[in-house]
Amino acid sequence: MANNNNREPIIICRGVNKWFGNFHVLKDINLEVMPQEVVVIIGPSGSGKSTFIRCINRLEEHQEGQIIVDGIELSHDVRNIAAIRSEIGMVFQQFNLFPHLTVLQNITLAPRYVRRQPRRIADEVALQLLARVGIPEQARKYPAQLSGGQQQRVAIARALAMQPKIMLFDEPTSALDPEMIKEVLDVMKELAQSGMTMLVVTHEMGFAREVADRIVFFDEGRIVEMGPPEHFFNNPQHERTKLFLSQIL
Amino acid sequence: MSLPESERNVYVAPPEPPPSRRPPVTTVGVLGWMRHNLFSSWPNTLATLVTAAFLVWFVQAFVRWSVENAQWGVITNNLRLITSGLYPRAEIWRMEVTAALLVFLTGLGLGIWARVARSVFVIVLVVLGAIVFVPLIGARIPEPTIYVLIEPQRTPSSFVFLGYRGEELRVELDPLTDLEDVNTRQIGYVESQSRATWSTQARAAATGQLDLADHNLELSVRLLDRSGSPVAVRGAPVQARSTPDALGGSFTVELPRDGWYVLHVERNDEDRDNNTGYAWLRIDGVELFSSLEAAAIARQAEYGPPPDVERPLFAEDRAYRFEGTRTFGEFVSLQLAPFLSRIARESFIGAALFANGWVIGTLGKHEKRVRRAAILGWALAGPVILVILYGVQGSRTLPIVTTSAWGGLLLTILLTLVGITASFPLGVALALGRRSELPVIKWTCTLFIEVIRGVPLITILFMAKLIVPFFWSALSSLDLTVRMMIGLTLFSAAYLAENVRGGLQIVPHGQLEAARALGMNPFLTTSLIVLPQALRAVIPAIVGQFISLFKDTSLVAVVGLFELVGIVDTIVSGQPIYRPYQREAYIFIAIIYFVISYAMSDVSRRLETSGAGSVRG
Ligand SMILES: Nc1ncnc2c1ncn2[C@@H]1O[C@H](COP(=O)(O)OP(=O)(O)O)[C@@H](O)[C@H]1O
Ligand SMILES: [Mg+2]
Repeated sequence: MANNNNREPIIICRGVNKWFGNFHVLKDINLEVMPQEVVVIIGPSGSGKSTFIRCINRLEEHQEGQIIVDGIELSHDVRNIAAIRSEIGMVFQQFNLFPHLTVLQNITLAPRYVRRQPRRIADEVALQLLARVGIPEQARKYPAQLSGGQQQRVAIARALAMQPKIMLFDEPTSALDPEMIKEVLDVMKELAQSGMTMLVVTHEMGFAREVADRIVFFDEGRIVEMGPPEHFFNNPQHERTKLFLSQIL
Repeated sequence: MSLPESERNVYVAPPEPPPSRRPPVTTVGVLGWMRHNLFSSWPNTLATLVTAAFLVWFVQAFVRWSVENAQWGVITNNLRLITSGLYPRAEIWRMEVTAALLVFLTGLGLGIWARVARSVFVIVLVVLGAIVFVPLIGARIPEPTIYVLIEPQRTPSSFVFLGYRGEELRVELDPLTDLEDVNTRQIGYVESQSRATWSTQARAAATGQLDLADHNLELSVRLLDRSGSPVAVRGAPVQARSTPDALGGSFTVELPRDGWYVLHVERNDEDRDNNTGYAWLRIDGVELFSSLEAAAIARQAEYGPPPDVERPLFAEDRAYRFEGTRTFGEFVSLQLAPFLSRIARESFIGAALFANGWVIGTLGKHEKRVRRAAILGWALAGPVILVILYGVQGSRTLPIVTTSAWGGLLLTILLTLVGITASFPLGVALALGRRSELPVIKWTCTLFIEVIRGVPLITILFMAKLIVPFFWSALSSLDLTVRMMIGLTLFSAAYLAENVRGGLQIVPHGQLEAARALGMNPFLTTSLIVLPQALRAVIPAIVGQFISLFKDTSLVAVVGLFELVGIVDTIVSGQPIYRPYQREAYIFIAIIYFVISYAMSDVSRRLETSGAGSVRG
């Protein structure tokens, strides 16, 4: 929220281009994200939003341009990728919890095996995180025994357990029943208030208006318009943005 | 009814929901199930009836044969060969230790990781009960009649038996004077030699080459004691006589004491030329000895050595063959009881060990120490068992027993266990290799899998036996058994790899992404996220493959190892006396194969359904 202008951006994208085969999916993306900033990405389906944020933790590879996360440039170097991934947490639309592990094991798995934390400490942290996302009592259950909203909150706790500097959200509420959306958004709001750097792809305009420092509008693989929520919702400039907003609002 | 238009579209339910009712009777329970599944339509009803009729016919025919005609003695008398092959007698304890270890660990493992169905305990209790009570019941069922043919070439002869004080012995001489006598069927034990001679003579009699009426029959049958002196009751010797004037004769006697007796048959030789008739000697109230060596030793210890007589007709179960149909009682006393007595000790020890393991496993399920001990136990079991069975060079307690002496059920189980433990990791590795991004690894694995899957197992076993050592001389010094283990392992691994690949395919891509996003490297992702899910999803297929492997071990009989099938083959072809009983022997091992296979698939079903983690999220 607080925008520290004197600090370096934590994510820098310069001229990022990506193709799927011949299909040009990301076109000259330039974006800088400051620490503690909350950036909400909106745009029509298929416009490349997911592809873009997946490039940031290298789940997808870009072919041209530079992506620099916390001073480390994404390259083919395996060590770089590992270093960057451990700085970035990601929350998926489909939760992607590990169904064969309990909630507690889901959360502690990466800290224990990647960070080599002792089990006792990992468990402790996990229980604190579960309390933070509001489901302290579900630790011993399996994902399939939880509701969608609870699963997504576990997924957030799982990402947070690696103590990331940046959190990526790819439509975290799109797979949820309406009555569960709020509980997930509340957790995200709390996270934003605590100062986490967040990149959020979402269709929840209320959330965007309330929480975002900046809104980025994607269309056909490029950034069409970008600005603070007041500008974006009250005074959009680009025709494409206006059309999109008229369709969803 | 005319409601105002505005109210017709409005409905409000009463405040309380109606109580839940039970469904109609004909749709639930056994009747409902039968109606729904067996007699739902006419073709279905017809199919049900035809199938049921066939089943009833088949089961009835089989049970009748097993009870009335089959000779299960071939199993009882060869149980050691069937279980352990040619493993040296003096070293059999090593086999027993191995079996005990496996049984205990199985109990422990099942207690910890699987639910054991209550029916298993019921079955075990029933079997143990039968082992105790059936021999008791069997002992009270009268022995069937024993028939010995008295013929010119074999008199005098002596029938040696063990008698017990107070038991009634009845002996009858039944002369054969015309064709009718020849064709009468005996029901009971017929001495094998008698049957062989008589079938030749009967043919001669039927074609008129032998005139039975032409022969005289002057015979006496006397009861002697162990020292050869006649047994007398109230001063008169016990005997039956047949003379040309009064053909046939009999006596009934209550035996005066326990011990050896001899029925001595002698021909009165005064009129040698004509005294060449035939007669059946019928003996009632005598038990055939068991031909088992252990039983012979026990008999000798209790009653001393059997009397030494000229031309003895030992009352041994090997030399007599049951003819005609048995009653169920006779089946119990003659077939079931000896078998159950034979396995009694082992069964009780086994059940006790299993129960011990199971109780420890069940109670300690949640204790890390117990689980660790069980895993360690299973992990060490392999090498420990191999050392126990194979032995240690130069050791006196564990002298080397070469694998060529391993056989029977022992070898079958060993081949299976080695196959499973070796082919599982290999199969998983091949499956992962086939999905590798490195083309060379991918092609190599694919080629291996496809070649092995494209060749019959028997060919692979022959290759392992003959061809591979020919090209690669280092292998020719390798034991045949070990080469077969390798062949089976490679074969099983190729199939497992395909099963595991199926499992890998169903793990959603999102799982990989989530793991990668958490910073997990490919090794951690595969071992902690992908494999646990993939393997669990294909447990049935994997266990199916293990069951196939278990059954496929029978093929090593063809290349000359004596596992279950091989050893039974040797028994029925190598011991002429058992040749007529191939069917019984093969049915018995079929039952062994079935019981073990079924247990394996049952355990897999229980593994699969246990643990909430198997539910996909
Ligand atoms: N792995 C892929 N291979 C080929 N095309 C893809 C792949 N992933 C996404 N696309 C295509 O790229 C475009 C952008 O996808 P995506 O980033 O998922 O859009 P959004 O998240 O904005 O809906 C879509 O047209 C989609 O079909
Ligand atoms: Mg998307």
